[in-house]
Amino acid sequence: MRETYRNELKAIKAEVVDIGRLVIEMTRDSTVSLVEGDVDLAERVIATDDELDSRTIQLEERMIETIATQFPVGRDLRLLYSLGHINMHMERMGDLAVNISKATRRTAARTGPRTMYDLIRAQGNLVHRVLEAMLEAFETKDLELAYKLKEMDEPIDHLFKQFFRELSRLQDEEEIEWVSSMVLASRYLERIADHAVDIGERLVYMVTGEFEVFEDGFGDESGSPEA
Amino acid sequence: MTAMPAPAHTDALTGAAKFSVRDLDFYYGDFHALTGITIDVRENAVTAFIGPSGCGKSTFLRCLNRMNDLIPGTRIDGTITLDGEDIYGPGVDPVDLRRRVGMIFQQPNPFPMSIYDNVAFGPRLHGIKNKAQLDEIVEQALVRANLWKEVKDIMGRGGLTLSGGQQQRLCIARVLAVQPDVLLMDEPCSAIDPTSVQKVEDLMADLKSSVTIIIVTHNMQQAARVSDETAFFLQERQGEPAELIEFGRTAEIFTSPHDRRTEDYITGRFG
Repeated sequence: MRETYRNELKAIKAEVVDIGRLVIEMTRDSTVSLVEGDVDLAERVIATDDELDSRTIQLEERMIETIATQFPVGRDLRLLYSLGHINMHMERMGDLAVNISKATRRTAARTGPRTMYDLIRAQGNLVHRVLEAMLEAFETKDLELAYKLKEMDEPIDHLFKQFFRELSRLQDEEEIEWVSSMVLASRYLERIADHAVDIGERLVYMVTGEFEVFEDGFGDESGSPEA
Repeated sequence: MTAMPAPAHTDALTGAAKFSVRDLDFYYGDFHALTGITIDVRENAVTAFIGPSGCGKSTFLRCLNRMNDLIPGTRIDGTITLDGEDIYGPGVDPVDLRRRVGMIFQQPNPFPMSIYDNVAFGPRLHGIKNKAQLDEIVEQALVRANLWKEVKDIMGRGGLTLSGGQQQRLCIARVLAVQPDVLLMDEPCSAIDPTSVQKVEDLMADLKSSVTIIIVTHNMQQAARVSDETAFFLQERQGEPAELIEFGRTAEIFTSPHDRRTEDYITGRFG
């Protein structure tokens, strides 16, 4: 029944997965560029964001057209509505990867304290894990995994706090400027993971029709030092 | 026959039950058409019955004004009350019941008489002779049926000269003229043009403050647009009686139904 419509829903979902892979790649590359001072790689991430933006807009148009012409209801409606949100989160995650890449531009010229690199690398690895788990939960509708995202996000917030402690130890003006860029990058990474947690919440709605907010999820500032 | 599980019921609207149906089974001779129907149809709301062809929704609708009595060999088990009174109880006059519970069919069926006489037919039958009084009833019924403006200057013209959509609204006016409590609409928009569909849907929204409306429709978008509550019926296997699968708030049925079969149906996976 409704072959064309079913195929279109599948194609839209597949495109969201592809976009998710692109975002994971951009996040990983931006972090590597920062740690290795690789400005070329950072520039490639920034350039890729144009592709991401146009793909998310095209996808949004496709979803609007499907809603307008096919009158989705029930789980199809929940799917499309949730994909719209997830698509938006992906686009923002891409923007944050761009911000990290811009931090590479600012920091690549000199080498900073070793701890900073270690912290970013550790945080980048944790974020990568969260993103992979988010995409797997989405592809397989694995709610158990979706619920774990929040737990996986916690150490990322802790590492971000650790950055602030490192910042407070510094005296040298130039070093403070350098480290500030790193702290911002750490903040962007932490936000990327928060978007992934929020996507997890969307998955719960998509599958069950129930709205749930994971404790201390996206929008909660408790993970940041200003709270 | 094993006991039927209660249908999944999403958050129901609050409000008095107009019809209370309990454990209804319906038979056409040997054929067991409906089983275990338990539902409260709320007063001053629009309730939609949906389901694939042959799922018993029209049969059930016709139980509500004893229209099935006219078919020989039919019988029911269980109870149906209207405002607390058993409509199959002794002493209930089916003709009087059908005045209180009016019916609109898929094919408009105006009488071969003038527009005016079509609407005045019921009131006259009930003994109203006074011309001024009849005029007022006819006008009011046509206004409520969203047809007055189109026909007020051609009241003497034959009802059958109107367009299909106008004829359907004329039939609605004819029912409204006898002040029913409930309007049963069996696929009322299947045979009429889109503009008239819009007018019929608008008048349903206007009427529900004074009349309880039950609509059987194959058009799920229409059910979603016009109704407050939706009941999904299904005959799962050929030869077995149809059941009420799920009943609940329309918005919930069309976003997060509780039963997988409801969801498969509304999303077009079968039917």
